[in-house]
Amino acid sequence: MTLLTVENLSKSYDGKPAVKQVSFQFQPQKCVALIGPNGAGKTTILRTLSGLLKPTSGIVTFNNMNANDDLRKHIGYLPQYPVFYPWMTGSEFLVYVGKLAHLSKEEAMARSEELLSLVGLTEAKNRRIGKYSGGMKQRLGIAQAIIHRPRLLMLDEPVSSLDPIGRREVLTLMEELKKEMTILFSTHILSDADEVSDELLLLHQGKIVEKGSMDELRKKYQTAKIELSFQDESATYQSKINSLPSVVKCHMERHTLHVAANDIAAARKEILMAASADNWPLTSFTINRTSLEDMFMKVVGN
Amino acid sequence: MQWITLFQKELLENWRNYKWIWVPLAIVLIASMDPITSYYLPQIMEAVGGMPEGASFELPDFQPSDVVMMSISQISSLGVLIIVLMSMGTIAGERKSGVSELILVKPVSYNNYITAKWAGLLVLVWASLFLGMLSSWYYVNILFGVLSFISILKVVFFYGLWLSLVATVSIFYNTLFKTPGLVAFLSIATIMLSSLITKIFGQRFEWSPNNISIYIKEMLVTGSVSADLLATALITIGIIAVLLIGSIFTYKTKELAN
Repeated sequence: MTLLTVENLSKSYDGKPAVKQVSFQFQPQKCVALIGPNGAGKTTILRTLSGLLKPTSGIVTFNNMNANDDLRKHIGYLPQYPVFYPWMTGSEFLVYVGKLAHLSKEEAMARSEELLSLVGLTEAKNRRIGKYSGGMKQRLGIAQAIIHRPRLLMLDEPVSSLDPIGRREVLTLMEELKKEMTILFSTHILSDADEVSDELLLLHQGKIVEKGSMDELRKKYQTAKIELSFQDESATYQSKINSLPSVVKCHMERHTLHVAANDIAAARKEILMAASADNWPLTSFTINRTSLEDMFMKVVGN
Repeated sequence: MQWITLFQKELLENWRNYKWIWVPLAIVLIASMDPITSYYLPQIMEAVGGMPEGASFELPDFQPSDVVMMSISQISSLGVLIIVLMSMGTIAGERKSGVSELILVKPVSYNNYITAKWAGLLVLVWASLFLGMLSSWYYVNILFGVLSFISILKVVFFYGLWLSLVATVSIFYNTLFKTPGLVAFLSIATIMLSSLITKIFGQRFEWSPNNISIYIKEMLVTGSVSADLLATALITIGIIAVLLIGSIFTYKTKELAN
């Protein structure tokens, strides 16, 4: 079952394309990360899905939604820099947006209390939002986005502007929310995406250049490499390793030998056999998996 | 229900940012200044040095209706300025700051959003005008002569229509632009231009909203509501409706983020 289908979504600003022919689908209860460098079109996609921008072309459909149903009932959205009414208190703001989303006054009040404690703002609920810190505003932003229990929660760079503590709080909160709703969030910090998302959409210059689950992408772009370091001069072993049959390439970087191989298991066996036969003074032997960073560079580079 | 929520928020916001205090106060001040200064003009002249030797100065004999119209004419300039300045950011400012990005991704109907803002503004304008004219009436009654309460209510009603039009013009520009200063400039420019056109082509625009105070004065003198006044009032209401529908339409077709 798909929750949301996006077909050939394009968006241009004054004729300049920002998003080009993007198509993807969401399964419910998944956390999807939209990754890309600044200016790749992440915010444009989120704003288009939220209805703040009108697509130049393309169709966005929700599962089991009538044609004339208001899309906004099913989505929650947190912009990158959420702005509130500084003269309202945190609790007043939540009740206000709750009522705007057609909750009754009682429901809105009960739900605000619940969310304030979920995002850890119970103590600050009667303080004016103008006095909140950046992290508190971000958490209030998440609370306002989910007040009407949307099926899809969209977060635009939810952690990029936060300090390490705020970042941790928001990521933990997202782990929690993932159980109840689909989350789509944009980020340019790859380790954050790695941490909470199940699926990735890699965006570059307005196009989706790669998509899939974390494991799928890992498998696809996996080029493990072996890193070796020695007690004495590593360079003396470079030619020996290069002559091993399964080794494709061996080069040296800052006293460490980096070995690339197609069949990593065979290379490991050969190196370890050579090492024990000649009694190499190995100090470390590591098999490194491709990081998200490497994968991203590789995809974008192509 | 949603409309009430939006409307209540407008009232609360205007209360928290003190608009409910300073706008009525300013209008009361503007409306009651002329009745008082006109009455005490001889004493004021005396206090600031009097007239040169031999000069004689005949003060006109002000009728209550003349004095009420003085208040109206002050509100027409300074009061209009206050209304435009206090309303210039009501929608434009929310878009500029970005708070509308949070509000309008909720299932908020644009009809409700615009008309609640408009109503919130109008309530403030009408309350201020009522208090202003009430204080003017008070001074007119004790300083210049009797004027019935009913006739002052009629003045408030018909002149309130003109101020409502001013507020609606401001709302209209608010939906078109997101720079509050530009909204204020265009609102004032529009009002000045319409008054200019009315003056130049007076014959053709007999029922222009700009002429409503002329007919209000007539009403005060004759004591009856003329057909001209009614026609002008209806045309004013019509223009308000058109502008309001236009505002909703522009907001519906507009992209709300950029």
